[in-house]
Amino acid sequence: MTLSVRNIGKSFGGFRALDDVSLEMPADGLLGIIGPNGAGKSTLFSVMSGFMAADAGGVSLHGRPLDRLGAAARARAGMVRTFQVPREFHHLTVRENLMAAAPGQTGENLLGVFLSPRRVRTEEAAIRVEAEATMDFLRLAPVADTPAGRLSGGQKKLLELGRALMAKPRLILLDEPFAGVNPVLIGQIMDRVATLNARGIGFLVIEHDLEALSRLVPRLVVMDRGRVLATGAPDVVLADPAVREAYLGGAVA
Amino acid sequence: MFGQLLVAGIVHGLIIGLAALAVTLVFGIARFPNAAAGDTMTAGAYAGLVAHKASGSLLVAGGAAVAASGLISLLGYLLVFRPLARRPVASLLVAAIGVAFLIRAALGIVFGHQQQVFQVPLAWPIEVAGIRIPPMDLTLAGVAACALAGAFGVLYLTSIGRQMRAVADDPDLARVSGIRPMRVMVTLWLLAGAAAGIAGLMLGVKTVVAPEMGWEGLLSAFAAAILGGIGSPVGAVAAGLLLGIAQEISTPYVGFTYKIALSFAVMLAVLLFRPRGLFGRVEGVR
Amino acid sequence: MEAYLVAIAIIAAIYVLLTLGLTLQYGLTGLVNFGHVGFFAIGAYASALISMQGMPLVVSFVCAAAIAALAAYPIGLVALRLRDDYFAVVTLGFSETVRLAITSEKWLTNGVQGIPGVPKAFAGMGIGMAGAVATLAAIALACGVAALMLRRITRSPFGRVIEAIRDNEDALRALGKDPARFKIQVLALGSALAGVAGAFYAHYITYLSPDQFIPLVTFYVWMAMIMGGVGRVSGAVVGALLLMLFLEGTRFLRDVAPDLISAVDMASVRLGAVGLALVLFTLFRPQGLMGDYTRR
Repeated sequence: MTLSVRNIGKSFGGFRALDDVSLEMPADGLLGIIGPNGAGKSTLFSVMSGFMAADAGGVSLHGRPLDRLGAAARARAGMVRTFQVPREFHHLTVRENLMAAAPGQTGENLLGVFLSPRRVRTEEAAIRVEAEATMDFLRLAPVADTPAGRLSGGQKKLLELGRALMAKPRLILLDEPFAGVNPVLIGQIMDRVATLNARGIGFLVIEHDLEALSRLVPRLVVMDRGRVLATGAPDVVLADPAVREAYLGGAVA
Repeated sequence: MFGQLLVAGIVHGLIIGLAALAVTLVFGIARFPNAAAGDTMTAGAYAGLVAHKASGSLLVAGGAAVAASGLISLLGYLLVFRPLARRPVASLLVAAIGVAFLIRAALGIVFGHQQQVFQVPLAWPIEVAGIRIPPMDLTLAGVAACALAGAFGVLYLTSIGRQMRAVADDPDLARVSGIRPMRVMVTLWLLAGAAAGIAGLMLGVKTVVAPEMGWEGLLSAFAAAILGGIGSPVGAVAAGLLLGIAQEISTPYVGFTYKIALSFAVMLAVLLFRPRGLFGRVEGVR
Repeated sequence: MEAYLVAIAIIAAIYVLLTLGLTLQYGLTGLVNFGHVGFFAIGAYASALISMQGMPLVVSFVCAAAIAALAAYPIGLVALRLRDDYFAVVTLGFSETVRLAITSEKWLTNGVQGIPGVPKAFAGMGIGMAGAVATLAAIALACGVAALMLRRITRSPFGRVIEAIRDNEDALRALGKDPARFKIQVLALGSALAGVAGAFYAHYITYLSPDQFIPLVTFYVWMAMIMGGVGRVSGAVVGALLLMLFLEGTRFLRDVAPDLISAVDMASVRLGAVGLALVLFTLFRPQGLMGDYTRR
């Protein structure tokens, strides 16, 4: 049961954003990706999740190739991404944001809305309970009825995670979950991610906050200029001179 | 017969190409399809008509068309589109329709609704290789060539033109490379207006001048801009020519009304099968 | 006077139906449909032609809705994969193509001469006001049903998803839902409403010709929706009434002062006023006259 990314290449005009990127992780594991700005981390997520077409290479989950699937189908296959800049449904409340993410709702079809109102009501009640549980888990309950556009940056990050959870994924691609988040919330998000991972959900995490990330994940991939520079345990990888050179600009070396 | 239609198609195609140039520049750089481009054309046709009546010179008429359409286009930008730049694209689309209606209403009130024609001297067609070419078509082709040379000169030989094309190619990259947006945008709207003005003038000389003329040509201009690839000036002109020739040649088969529908069919086909158009960038329509 | 009031009430109600359709498409889902009049025309001609084959009006109305919705389907398949701005251009092109087809296909539509003698709704009720009043009652009922339907939709999971589409389509895709699947239903349902509006129009006016279906009609509906408040079901009703006030007001002005302004100029003045309204509302009051549309 693995997520496997093989030899991904992606160029914009003459600029090679991703150059032969490969990585592999157990689908229920925890893997971190670090690298300086422009290393291609978010582009990698976009390609993996089907938001951008790769020029070369492919992605498979549990041995099933995802390359022919669109973004929505990849999410349904179990791999759900979040966005670096949160993309909340700003007019909807936090609760509605979460409920919108639940899969397979009868009431999402016009025929269902008008022909099976009872079934829609039952499902809604169940999804509502699930949303409440998710809000409790992420401590979003106090803002349940607030339009998501009014949340703080950190709360929006939590909401992104919550929505991803409501979609029932096996693996979540987290794009900078700690960026712009206050330290108290960072601790909280880390704690939640660890709990979820213990329950069997895998995480691939892009993060700039090295210190936090090293505490969270057992293994790191370092990217630089579209390539994978190194892979391994955080303390080993971070001691690598090439990584220090690329990532820290040699200042600390 | 075929040769005749080809000549008519080329002249018509140059008109569409110039209008498509106006559309594609705005679409590529200001990032929305400007529905007011058609009525900007009409304004150019009326300005040309007035100047032509007063002076009898097509050259003066061209100058008047460029000046009037350029000015209207710039005013539209400064008063309406610039304040809306950070709003969702739907706002710009709706506002552009509003501007289009305003221009057409003003022209209707000032000039009335009856069709008017350019009083140009009749002349015997010149025969070239068995194809009879009206001298006015040659003159118009010359006007279009001058206008295109001017527009491409600005786009490809000046630094502001290079900046415009950079923005059209990749707005994000352009933003980080420190391009001054205001200067680029003013030039853009002047240039787009001028191109539309010449297109309107040519259409007016070739057919009749009426308040609805530009709006009716809008669909062809959009289709050519999409076919050529949004943001590609060369593509717009090439696609305009292709579309103009296709329309004229298909007229005997599909009839006069459906030659406009041909634009729609082309637009759908391009969006379905090759959304970046003939000369466009890869990322785009989605 | 009563006859006049009933007449404008019927036209206003037709605009309410059209505006409700656009509210579903743009107000709730964010689909920039610039071709609404095309579906209105399809409904009008479909119902007129079918009823003139001797079919009862009930059948022709159902067909009008169904055919308009079906016409939306292929447009949806093509266009919904595109960005908003392309969608606007494609729908505008579609409505113009519909008008051209009506103009050209004389065997079916009688071209620019138009179709006279479309069966009047409730003609069996005699020549007095009764028929018109019954028409008004029927169309008011249709508006009521449509409004309730929309309200039901906004409170359903479907409504939640389409509002999510309006807010951020990519986020929805990232959660495993295909925006196109929802948009196509929205486009078809909104077009069905326009089709029904067209059928009412055909059987009330009793004469159809292509020049009744110019793009200006689409933008009358946009103006109504924007004035009433984008995304509000109640706003659609208020906006359509304001639009009617505007249309009738300009006509009234011409009637009382025919020397001041000719019929032709009046057309320009109206066009200019619609243009000005679209520009000013977008610039200064995008939320419409009735306020914030974020909560229904």
